[in-house]
Amino acid sequence: MESVEGVARTLLSFGRLSRGLPFGRAHGLSSRDPLLPLAPRSQENADPQRTAFLLRKQWTLYSVTPLYRFSNAHLRDYARLLSAFIAAEKQKGLAVEVGVELDIKVAVSSLPYLKGSDQDQAAILVQLSSRSPASPKNSEEKLIWSGWFCCVSGDDISKNVPEDFTCLPLFLVNGAECYTSIVGSWFQKTFDCSFRRLAISPLILSWMAAMWTGCKVDKTASAIELVFSVPCLPQPLDISYAIHPEDAKALWDTVQKTPGEIIQEEVDVFMDCLYSHFHRHFRIHLSATKLVKVSTAIASAHCDGIIKFLQSQYLTGVLMLLTELAISQIE
Amino acid sequence: MDETVAEYIRRTVLKIPRDEIKTMLQKWGLLSETQLQTINFRQIKENISQDVVQLCEEISADIKQAAVLDIIYNHVYPNKRVWSVYQMKKTGEETEFFDLTDFKKKFKRRLRSALKNVTINFREYEDNAIWIRIAWGTPYTKPNQYKPSYVVYHSQTPYVFISASVLKSNLPLLCQALVLASNYHDIREMELRSHSLNSLKDIVFKRYSQNFQTHYPRPLQERNVAPESADLRIIEENKNEKERIERVNREVFGDGPQPKLEFAQYKLETMFKSDPQMDVLDKKEPFRCLVKFSSPHLLESLKSLAPAGMADAPISPLLTCIPQKARNYFKIRERKHFFPGSFVSP
Repeated sequence: MESVEGVARTLLSFGRLSRGLPFGRAHGLSSRDPLLPLAPRSQENADPQRTAFLLRKQWTLYSVTPLYRFSNAHLRDYARLLSAFIAAEKQKGLAVEVGVELDIKVAVSSLPYLKGSDQDQAAILVQLSSRSPASPKNSEEKLIWSGWFCCVSGDDISKNVPEDFTCLPLFLVNGAECYTSIVGSWFQKTFDCSFRRLAISPLILSWMAAMWTGCKVDKTASAIELVFSVPCLPQPLDISYAIHPEDAKALWDTVQKTPGEIIQEEVDVFMDCLYSHFHRHFRIHLSATKLVKVSTAIASAHCDGIIKFLQSQYLTGVLMLLTELAISQIE
Repeated sequence: MDETVAEYIRRTVLKIPRDEIKTMLQKWGLLSETQLQTINFRQIKENISQDVVQLCEEISADIKQAAVLDIIYNHVYPNKRVWSVYQMKKTGEETEFFDLTDFKKKFKRRLRSALKNVTINFREYEDNAIWIRIAWGTPYTKPNQYKPSYVVYHSQTPYVFISASVLKSNLPLLCQALVLASNYHDIREMELRSHSLNSLKDIVFKRYSQNFQTHYPRPLQERNVAPESADLRIIEENKNEKERIERVNREVFGDGPQPKLEFAQYKLETMFKSDPQMDVLDKKEPFRCLVKFSSPHLLESLKSLAPAGMADAPISPLLTCIPQKARNYFKIRERKHFFPGSFVSP
């Protein structure tokens, strides 16, 4: 362990992460529950009904550089242009799943309630739906692809960016890769931005494990599960280590001592405790393996940059963390 | 021929890899060589299966005959199913002479007295293995041929390998029928499950090479040691430690190939213990965990951990005891002794 004894250590590339979650500090709360959601003042609440469609789906994460000359007032036009672009790509023979003749409709909308602070841009949702040409005109359309751009408490980046640029550094996708690359290309061409897959390092995954273990959940929480992978053996090995949520929280509560914030040292102690309990039984050094996935009642995250939100009350909190990660990747 | 039989035969043939179809049909023996020669086995599978169905129509095959093809397929590809191991218990010590006809009669009778709608097939193989296929119905519906249960019983042993279908409610009845038919008095499920039927057999029949219980250091000359590098400038660091790890590893895992299992699961109900200096959790209740190891070949994978530096040598007996204890599901509780690092598994 590299941390100097007694000194709070900040994450090297994420200076902001160590200050804990801004909610706690900004509003003067020394809460031991750092993800306690406080309604951002001038916004409507992220009401559970409206965010339900984001939950329990697998979202692939990207970081996006600021968009040039993007305007909230032209969302309908963007939908029309994107639709034409997709149709053109289809003509070229790209963009489609083989053998499927689909009529694709594009909808672009704004999600004003998905923000962290007033300075944040409202989230933008792009949805592709299809209707098979064979079925009648008024039959239901099926949602085949969703992608949304958002920025939750991205103050640091929005401050430093010139006027014509819109900051929506986090992009989340659910749907087929062929549509993702088409929509991505259109945005890249139209707004001169670039997309990059957002990987989540084992270091960040352990932060997520620690933070989310500490959150209070209403109903019976699911286990805290850590998945480790050891690929470079003659026969690869996967280890799933799931801890009862009450026991994990009890452990975290005794480790987490700094009020209102979480520091690297606390995360390290928490993980070391889990590793040594495991070692006591199996004599295997989990610290030598790769942490690839963390699942809790709040959310689950995979190192390939895949997230699943499970609780609407913590949605904004998780988005804030992901926004920070995206911003770090851009800078 | 019943439409459902035709469809079942068609779907069963479709499961078989194209190059294997002819051999399996020959093993099946329902269609004659002359009939088989009329089929073009180089066309696409859909057409082959249609031809087979056509020929079966001509001889009015019934469901029991069709089911035999399914047994043959599963015997060649047992690893597509998950198998659990059961052990039967006898009161007395005498080994009675095993009467196959009597076994079959009693087995069928027990099942049929409870359930009118069942399809039961038996097939014997060379290694004293009896394969039983059971398709289950209800008092009101015909047996579901697509979700059969399979039983493999080695009559000279008390072990039964069962691949139950999704319809687990029939398991107690199946167990009862087995116990009755084989003249045992009880049966229990072992905590041992795998896709690899042969590995399960290796474990319970002790057909793998077991680890040594003693710890003599073996003279190095016995092994195939890689020739020392001719270049004297190359020195192997930690040579002694590496050799110690190899030796100890082979002692706990044994020399031969490991039985093939895909997973092991440990339910931990032990206490959390930490360095008192760390000032963390000090509860009097167990720290509840569930640990699952998975790998295409779990035991070989675990064996390679210590040499790779990811585990201590020797690795925990909780892992190395899997073949001897013939189980891959464990519940670990704290041993009520003063030895802090010891565990008991019930």
